[in-house]
Amino acid sequence: MTSATPFDLIVIGSGPAGQKAAIQGAKAGKQVALIEQTREVGGACVYQGTIPSKTLRESALQMVRFLQATEVFEFRMRDDVKITNLMTRLDRVVRAHGKFMKDQLTRNGIDCFHGRAGFVSDHEVRIQKTDGTATFVTAPIIVVATGSRPRVPDNIPIDHEHILDSDSILSLVYLPKSLTVLGGGVIASEYASIFALLGVHVTLVDTADRPLKFLDQELTDEFCEAFEKTGGHYRGGQKIGSVQWDGCSKVTTVLESGETLESEKVLVALGRVSNLEHLNLQATGIQPTTRGLIPVNHHCQTTVRHIYAVGDVIGPPSLASCSMEQGRRAVCHALGLNSGVAPEHIPMGIYTIPEMSSVGLSEQEATAKYGGATVGRARFHEIARGQISGMTHGLLKMIADPKGEQLLGIHIVGEGATELIHIGQMGLLHNMPIDRFIDNIFNFPTLAETYRVAALDIAKQRQH
Amino acid sequence: MVHSTITPLAQEERETLRSFIADQLGRGNLDLPLLPVVANRVLLLSSDPDADASKLSSLIQQDQALAGQIIRIANSPAYAPRTPIVSLQQAITWLGLTMLAGLAFSVSVQSGVFHTTGYEKEVRNLWRHALATGLFGKEIARRIRHNVENAFLCGLLHTIGKPAILHLLAQSPDKSAEPFSWITIESLFEEFHITAGSKLAAVWQLPDPVQETIRYYQDDQYHQAISPTKGAMITCLAHHLASVMLGNSVHDENSLLTLPVVQDLNFYPEDMTALLELRETVRASVECFLP
Repeated sequence: MTSATPFDLIVIGSGPAGQKAAIQGAKAGKQVALIEQTREVGGACVYQGTIPSKTLRESALQMVRFLQATEVFEFRMRDDVKITNLMTRLDRVVRAHGKFMKDQLTRNGIDCFHGRAGFVSDHEVRIQKTDGTATFVTAPIIVVATGSRPRVPDNIPIDHEHILDSDSILSLVYLPKSLTVLGGGVIASEYASIFALLGVHVTLVDTADRPLKFLDQELTDEFCEAFEKTGGHYRGGQKIGSVQWDGCSKVTTVLESGETLESEKVLVALGRVSNLEHLNLQATGIQPTTRGLIPVNHHCQTTVRHIYAVGDVIGPPSLASCSMEQGRRAVCHALGLNSGVAPEHIPMGIYTIPEMSSVGLSEQEATAKYGGATVGRARFHEIARGQISGMTHGLLKMIADPKGEQLLGIHIVGEGATELIHIGQMGLLHNMPIDRFIDNIFNFPTLAETYRVAALDIAKQRQH
Repeated sequence: MVHSTITPLAQEERETLRSFIADQLGRGNLDLPLLPVVANRVLLLSSDPDADASKLSSLIQQDQALAGQIIRIANSPAYAPRTPIVSLQQAITWLGLTMLAGLAFSVSVQSGVFHTTGYEKEVRNLWRHALATGLFGKEIARRIRHNVENAFLCGLLHTIGKPAILHLLAQSPDKSAEPFSWITIESLFEEFHITAGSKLAAVWQLPDPVQETIRYYQDDQYHQAISPTKGAMITCLAHHLASVMLGNSVHDENSLLTLPVVQDLNFYPEDMTALLELRETVRASVECFLP
């Protein structure tokens, strides 16, 4: 018989989803226990995912801007700029963000436990500490937010030294001469474009004929063009046969077509798997799906009604932004609080170089739903701000109904896309007619002007 | 940590030597050995993104003894080559560029850099411990997704100050015909090897993370290390694991779990079990490099 400490709410995992769930519970006046298996709060988002990759990306962009500026301002950068310099900055940003999150939890009076959580029953959780001892907590409501980790395919011997995954890629202390990136999803495309910009010879390999196939093709075409321009190569329609380090200086990737690719390092980014292995879900009666996800309803409730699951453990969209909202809404639902109107239009941000972002219907989806679509386009290099900033790539694509009157979707590729998208998101949320973008005034010169140009493009098609 | 009873005679000897070492380390013109040319170039090559097997091969070929050692290691049972290794290029292919660069550096430093006459067996044990620390460091780094190559080099060189102290003692004016007692020397290591190692690392211009590890690898120090590669923290635990494996630790497998560094690396009992299960692999590698 164990003596468990009672709480009103237990949250397992302190990533974006778990953190927001815990804070929502605390703000509702509940006693909250937050369990995190690592010493730091924040989860993979802070330490291996979103924050590090975006910081590395920003550092790479800054470095390239400096290199470009050397010609204009006639100064010279040191030849031995190392990736460790970029990583040191990354370490500082990650530490600062981790501290901010920890302070936020403390401020809200949340009890943080360091240890691995495993269900004893559907109301009780065992917290195993690093020294082997354990404590127990119990609550009427439990939220599972344990996140995910990189998938390790059976046929690829990831050693984190020569063949890396998206966690160990951040441990590099020097830039490899060449890098083969396996996968065509968000993580693969983001790292491929960052390392290509840093001067690494990058080959991106995937089964799909183009990377990020879920995005509008005009966006990915623009991305591929920019990627190739920095020296990257995309090899689509390829299946991986084997990956082998030669024990010396290179990794050989054999494609099923028989072709071989040689590179100094390989990054394997072929999806992620949910972190369920320590949870002992059997004790709750929850049965994971065949894909290893926790099944939930639209309130993020599992089959055991007082246990909720949020974030990567429930599968797509696996965006930090959505996970946070899932955490908040799950706790609101559990506590019978009004969580507001469910978000209708969730933007998607891809931090490739250049950035891509999307909200609302795609051209194909609009055509399927309305029997047609009117598309307006604005290219960054045709906008004053784009010219000033020397932007050679960038496109805003506005989707309207067949009459060209109602805004249905926005798709952007180009620097600042993930910020720029929110104008379109607000337009969609307020059912904004296309003409509203024409009748109003934007700051000049700004990239926001692309909205007006794209709307004018649609208006022009109306007249024909 | 050295747990030994020092006799009054040894205590007197220790005090004399202690003053000498303290004086030597306090001086600006410390007479430490120069890094052998080949070792220096191997080290530079190991952190050179343009390095390749042929460059390393041609470098190692300049040192016949070193080349012989490499071929011997590549043919050892721990690396079980499918066919006998007969060429340096083949050995490099089999052992790997990074591993070989670290070992070539280590072998090169061991053979003739320091004056350690009279302590051959003890010095051999020092190198065995250093190598085991490097190999455990690699596995720890792999588990926490930190840089594996860096962890190996940090472990391999973390106690470089110990042979450096022996080298200084060889210049002691009180040097008698008999070697100093090892118990005395160990107590001097305890007191001075970090300072000696740090000075040597600076003179040899070892990579920054390695220098930091030499300074801060000990239990009460690694918190001061700031390198994101966590070389000092990784080496701290690797050092303990190597000590337990070689039977010269006050810890046993159970008490290792209570070390603060285990908690700081966020290793759960199952992580430590997995690391300890690698003992025989590490031991076999150590035996083949330093039989």
